[in-house]
Amino acid sequence: MGDKLNYFKKMKGTTKSPPAVSLLEIFWSWIGAMAGIAPVVYINYNLLEGTDFVMVIGSFGASAVLIYGAIKSPLAQPRNLIGGHVFSAIIGVACFKLFHANLWLAGSLAVATAIAVMHATKTLHPPGGATALIAVIGSQKIHNLGYLYAIIPAGSGALIMLIVALIINNIPKNRRYPEYWF
Amino acid sequence: MIEREQSKETNIPIPVELSDEDVYDAMKQISGYLDITPGDFKEVYGLAFQHAISRLTRAVKAKDVMNRDVVYVTPLTPLKEVAEIMGRRGISGVPVVAEGRKVVGIISEKDFLSHMGMQKNITFMSIVAECLIGNGCMAVDIRGKSAGDIMTTPAISVYKDTSIMEIDNLMRKHRINRVPVRNKNDKLIGIVTRTDLLPSSCIAATV
Repeated sequence: MGDKLNYFKKMKGTTKSPPAVSLLEIFWSWIGAMAGIAPVVYINYNLLEGTDFVMVIGSFGASAVLIYGAIKSPLAQPRNLIGGHVFSAIIGVACFKLFHANLWLAGSLAVATAIAVMHATKTLHPPGGATALIAVIGSQKIHNLGYLYAIIPAGSGALIMLIVALIINNIPKNRRYPEYWF
Repeated sequence: MIEREQSKETNIPIPVELSDEDVYDAMKQISGYLDITPGDFKEVYGLAFQHAISRLTRAVKAKDVMNRDVVYVTPLTPLKEVAEIMGRRGISGVPVVAEGRKVVGIISEKDFLSHMGMQKNITFMSIVAECLIGNGCMAVDIRGKSAGDIMTTPAISVYKDTSIMEIDNLMRKHRINRVPVRNKNDKLIGIVTRTDLLPSSCIAATV
């Protein structure tokens, strides 16, 4: 009885939300995302047009939130960014190859296993979950890449965004990136 | 059970309890988005504080807090003198040492009380009561005796490099208030009492 009461009590929450950031922080988050997403999307549509390759996947939009908008977060550090995308991509492709007859199973298994592996390897990066899912639900072009998906677009796209993060996030005096590399 | 005991031993209350507002205001001072809630920060802070205390108590040794000017008696010292010394110095216990200042026992007020009168669990107030009633002095029983007759032996003692954390555990376990400190040759070199283990004394010893 007491346990049940406590169970519902937990849903009320216990603390308040963190403070809002300054206008300057908003400005630099915006600049970073512009500079980081631009090259990735440009390469995708202007350089790789007509080839079998893809450079942009939806999960990079989520990575941009972290590595330009929440740069102190452990989730946004280089280890997590690169490791999260690459590991999740491999898991996503493997799940598609094994279970493509049942896409619901391939998709859920890909995301769940990606989270578990990211946790175990200390590379938790939320957009990695999307990278794993996209390997299953993605276009024919994505499926044709096979395990190459882990390098192009997942690994290389994340790398380009990381380089931009290093350049942009360290320009303002009171910002620094990364907190740690590995 | 064991876990509960351990947490009881290391759980020193944080001197200043942080409020969510304190943490919130501090977070506002740090530019950039902090990926943590004030509540989680408080939890981390509380645990980190406990770790700091346990690190300090492990770093502080007996030699850092002990009283070097230690009063002691020998097994042959008459109890009359032992009581006099304790009274004069305002202390509630003295180590008993043999040749070469080797610790052989310890005498505390408790040892005096337990050897006076027939009753068990005799207290200071029951002695006062006896005197007031006029039944005579209860100390008569031990008048002719010496330190060796009533001391607790062997004394629980520590080395100069014993951490105050271990000393604290020893005192709790054996319900004692002081431990003699000896060097490698078992020679008495100091004494640590409960007051020496108060956090303020320990922090003073580290800085």
